[in-house]
Amino acid sequence: MNSLYVEGDSFFHRLPPRPKLILLLTASLALFLTRSPLLLGLSAGAAALLYGSLGIGWQQSWIRLRPILLTIAIVALATLVLNSMEEGGVVLLRLTTLMLIAAAVTATVPIGSFIDEITLAARPMERLGLVKAADIGLSVGLVIRFVPEVVLRFQQLRQAHQARGLKVRATTMIVPLIIQTLKSADEIAAAIDARGIRGQRHARNLEDSR
Amino acid sequence: MTTRDLVLTALFAAIIVALGLLPPIMLGFIPVPITAQSMGVMLAGVILGARRGTMAVLLVLLLAAIGLPVLSGGRGGLAVFAAPTTGYLIGWVFAAFTTGFIAERVVKPSQTSLTQTLGFFVAAVAGGVVVLYAFGITYLAFITGIGMSKAFIGSMAFIPGDIIKAVVAALAGRAVMAGYPLLPARA
Repeated sequence: MNSLYVEGDSFFHRLPPRPKLILLLTASLALFLTRSPLLLGLSAGAAALLYGSLGIGWQQSWIRLRPILLTIAIVALATLVLNSMEEGGVVLLRLTTLMLIAAAVTATVPIGSFIDEITLAARPMERLGLVKAADIGLSVGLVIRFVPEVVLRFQQLRQAHQARGLKVRATTMIVPLIIQTLKSADEIAAAIDARGIRGQRHARNLEDSR
Repeated sequence: MTTRDLVLTALFAAIIVALGLLPPIMLGFIPVPITAQSMGVMLAGVILGARRGTMAVLLVLLLAAIGLPVLSGGRGGLAVFAAPTTGYLIGWVFAAFTTGFIAERVVKPSQTSLTQTLGFFVAAVAGGVVVLYAFGITYLAFITGIGMSKAFIGSMAFIPGDIIKAVVAALAGRAVMAGYPLLPARA
């Protein structure tokens, strides 16, 4: 699975992840405080310049942004028809700005840095005993590891259906897919515990809490 | 959370991601292509229960947020959270929780298979349709300012498809329960 990160050396690339995430959060709140077409237009322009400065190229950008641009366009058009020209314009500019900034952050922060940020953000929750911060990175890694496996199982099941002349149906595919996949949980869990991946670092905390 | 629960959660998240990669499945009796990913949310609740199901969905959204194209049609990145339909993504979390919460309490191993399937169907509709659309429609109405009633009418077209998904999720949930029971959650 390829991440949406893009290698580069632009100014935004060199900025550390945290200010970028704070910028995105601030923008997502600030954009809903104003209804001025001028302000929204200016911020949309600035966001477009920011995204443009990353050097992703027109074609790649179009492929990346197309699905979200399409939903924004449909909803903005519906707003325009149902309410007013102005309302439609506000929706279009707000969401497009937000989308461009978000896409810019995604394109310039590698997965590893993201996980570091999230692990850091989860520390206070860890102190409350809600999650183990280190589990987040482990879970992300497990999912990335198992997606190709699940897809392979799906293809094997489809071939098994075809070999028996059966129609590929949702119910007859999903059930064996889920059972086969989840049945490997015990083995994987045993392998993780055997290597002490979750236990060692927190063994002391656990003893303390007992 | 035991390591087994953590692994089950991650495996189910992988299933939800894989369901988004697959081409839409046609159901035999109705000519509606089913994009299987939102059904994965119902399945997470029905099969794993409230806690683990919610975690699996949160994990998928986390993967999307950090820039992996895990949502159906290869969508991903923080930009998917800036779309008018973001309310549905947020609603996924609560949909999985509601479905799991009801499934854990309504469905018992001692019941007949029909009762179990019906119980799962009720749980899947309550979570995957009622709760999900409550979030999706509220967000859409808020972000566009078109008002709740118009946002509701605009979303109506998708409800029949989701009812069908709830039927499949209930049938699959009941079959998985027979073959590899995970409900009620073991400690």
